[in-house]
Amino acid sequence: MTTPRGIDPRGPRFTATLTAVLLLTVVALGIAGTTYVINTSSGWSAYEITLKSPLQRLLEPGAILFAVLVLIFAWSATQGVAKHPFGLFFRAVIRPRLTPPAELEDPAPPTFAQGVGFLITATGLVLHLLGVPYALVIAASLAFIAAFLNSVFAFCLGCQIYLLLVRARIIRPKGAALA
Amino acid sequence: MQPILVVLGLVAFATALGLLWKSQQGRVRRTASTIDLPEGVTLGGRATLLQFSTEVCSPCRATHTVLDSLARETDDVTHVDFDLTHRPDVAARFNILQTPTTLILDRDGVVRARIGGAARRDSVLAELTRIGAAA
Repeated sequence: MTTPRGIDPRGPRFTATLTAVLLLTVVALGIAGTTYVINTSSGWSAYEITLKSPLQRLLEPGAILFAVLVLIFAWSATQGVAKHPFGLFFRAVIRPRLTPPAELEDPAPPTFAQGVGFLITATGLVLHLLGVPYALVIAASLAFIAAFLNSVFAFCLGCQIYLLLVRARIIRPKGAALA
Repeated sequence: MQPILVVLGLVAFATALGLLWKSQQGRVRRTASTIDLPEGVTLGGRATLLQFSTEVCSPCRATHTVLDSLARETDDVTHVDFDLTHRPDVAARFNILQTPTTLILDRDGVVRARIGGAARRDSVLAELTRIGAAA
């Protein structure tokens, strides 16, 4: 097991809180700015899909914020959660004002969670750009639930889904004997 | 659809999920099943605390500390921490869906209890007492 250097466990909690608030903002913006109008004037319900290019969809306020979050997830999943921009802010501004932590934590679990966050949000963003109705709102809601549980309940995503993903052959650990 | 209603609904739903998850953590389920021990695991004289962990699980470290100190303080009780990160075959064999999962084995290797999620010291001690491995 590689344990480069322990991180303050409050760092990922802070990151999750900020991420949850931003994801909730995406949900609200996504619903407010939704372009699928239900037309009931003609006596039947129908979705009036406005024709927009992927670029126009990307420039919606909710989508811009969501795209930034996708990039942050990608960055910290590949570079390690210690380099997460919100985590850097925590270390520079907030941590000096707190008492030192009782113990340090392995960065691997929160880094794994960032990877899951990337998969969910990136899928949602791509579907949204392709014009799938409510893809943005649904993906942001799922990611929000995970971030909220992590922030408020210290929920550990890796504990609950790593083995499921491995056993479903979605993740293939190196050198693993297959089930 | 009102954005504020959806936002409030999401927060309420996530809170309910979190409370449900928390209530399930560390719950002890009593069993009486026999298993083939994973390779390299030997039974303790009176009981064995067989913990399953992965590298992407932070509460596994806390559970390790709890079980390790219990094993140290109790005669003939051993603690084994088995890393499933690269062993999906073992995870499938013991039907482990989440980590940490702890099995409490008696002197004969029969699984007497199964604890999903972070193990609490008092509930593990109660089980050890029940199976006659701790006073």
